Amino acid sequence: MRRLSTIAEMTGREILRRRAVLFLLLLFPLPFYLLQRAEHPGQAIRFLFVGLSWAISGSAMFVAHSGRAIDPRLRLSGYRAHHLWMGRMSALWLIGTVVTLPYLALVVVDQPRVRHGALAVAMVLCVAVAAPFGLLLGAVVSREFEGTLLLLVTVGIQMVADPATTTARLMPFWSGREIGTYAIDHTDTGFLVRGVAHGLACALLFSLALAVVSALRLRRRRHLRTLPAN
Amino acid sequence: MIDDPDWLDVLAGELRLRGLPEDQVTRVLGETRAHLWDAGEDPARAFGTPSAYAAAVHESLGTPPIPARRKVVRAEAPRLQATGIGKRHGRHRLLHDVDLTVHAGEVAAIVGANGCGKSTFLRICAGVERAHAGRVVVRGSIGYCPQGGGTSDFLTPDEHFVLVGAGRGLGRDRSRGAGRALAEHLWWPRPAPIAAARLSGGTRQKLEVILTALGDPDVLLLDEPYQGFDRDSYMYFWDRVREWANEGRAIVVVTHLLDRLERADTVVDLTPSPHAAPGVRGRHHPKGTQPR
Repeated sequence: MRRLSTIAEMTGREILRRRAVLFLLLLFPLPFYLLQRAEHPGQAIRFLFVGLSWAISGSAMFVAHSGRAIDPRLRLSGYRAHHLWMGRMSALWLIGTVVTLPYLALVVVDQPRVRHGALAVAMVLCVAVAAPFGLLLGAVVSREFEGTLLLLVTVGIQMVADPATTTARLMPFWSGREIGTYAIDHTDTGFLVRGVAHGLACALLFSLALAVVSALRLRRRRHLRTLPAN
Repeated sequence: MIDDPDWLDVLAGELRLRGLPEDQVTRVLGETRAHLWDAGEDPARAFGTPSAYAAAVHESLGTPPIPARRKVVRAEAPRLQATGIGKRHGRHRLLHDVDLTVHAGEVAAIVGANGCGKSTFLRICAGVERAHAGRVVVRGSIGYCPQGGGTSDFLTPDEHFVLVGAGRGLGRDRSRGAGRALAEHLWWPRPAPIAAARLSGGTRQKLEVILTALGDPDVLLLDEPYQGFDRDSYMYFWDRVREWANEGRAIVVVTHLLDRLERADTVVDLTPSPHAAPGVRGRHHPKGTQPR
């Protein structure tokens, strides 16, 4: 447990020390909301979810990339692969949740007729999905530029695809749009249930994939056999 | 100022840097402080710079010898035994049939031309890169110092000590204490609380070495660990290597500088042989280690 909490703490310190990144992380989702707010207040909330997911998954991807160099040393120092990915994901979940709070407050104040409980659920799911998705992207794609492009494509498809289509449902951040519809348009609970199920399934799926990729990447190679010291 | 603590601190560091034992450092500091007190002089005026004064003291006391080698007990199983290691990059054969055996208390140096596979061999020994042939048996824990990149840009030295120390099962205070003690041994007396990205190249490299040795791993694998060190730090580093070996560790150092090979018990040259078959970069000189 100490190892996991140490990784989480150090990940948090790294992110907090990158002031420019932190500033952008905090402000990045704001234009998504403000640019649509006047004419399409409901769409502004859906775009806000996408902006939050983009910001958090982008940060997670950079955390994964910056950890790549030090990971072999940490693995040899006694950490297991799950300490590394779970510790980083915990830190990102915590920071991501903190980032969403002012936006939740903004929407609550700005749009009183929306179902605010559902908004909070959608934002929590945005964080829950975006952190493992970004870490997975960083673990699979070794170069930051390629990873950034992939993230851009994912978010772009998510924004332009009709939410009712299969393509949109296969995207990682679909849950926000579905729950958003429930919260904004006061539709039936089916939207909420589908959105929550999609979000939880994505969070679980990405976490499992991350566990597998991390274990493979940081596995001890078969030619090495370690025995206790004499 | 009669008793300038900064001047005396720097002097103490300079004396340690030159290898004076701690009791001599204490004695010199005591005598210097007493002289300054009696004479009522400014230390810089009385003795000049701490570095110059330390050099004069060092010369008057004589150069300390290289730490003596302790007898290696070869009856024990080796700490690191690499046998028949082979590595290919596509059709290019980088390593072929390389052996290395290092016992507790021994220092092995891996030398060779650029691109001959020194770092790859060390990564294979650490288990972070796959070998296409052969096996490595390590008895005990491994400390691996990669050739740069083994630190985080945004963490301070103390945070690095805590991070790596936690992996080795050490608490925060013990990790910080151990890290700072190792830093002092590498002539880095007070690691500043600044992010690693802001450290100089040589200081960051010291951080790499400290993190490798933190928690007393049984086998130390060091890949050109002295890059960016100044001359004194470089000499001091080799003294530390010998001391670590004397404490019972097995050490492998990848190096392209040959002026300290007398401190190694085993030297393995990975430079491809000129008699290699066409299309093959070469068989490596040693089939087995070269005990000296």
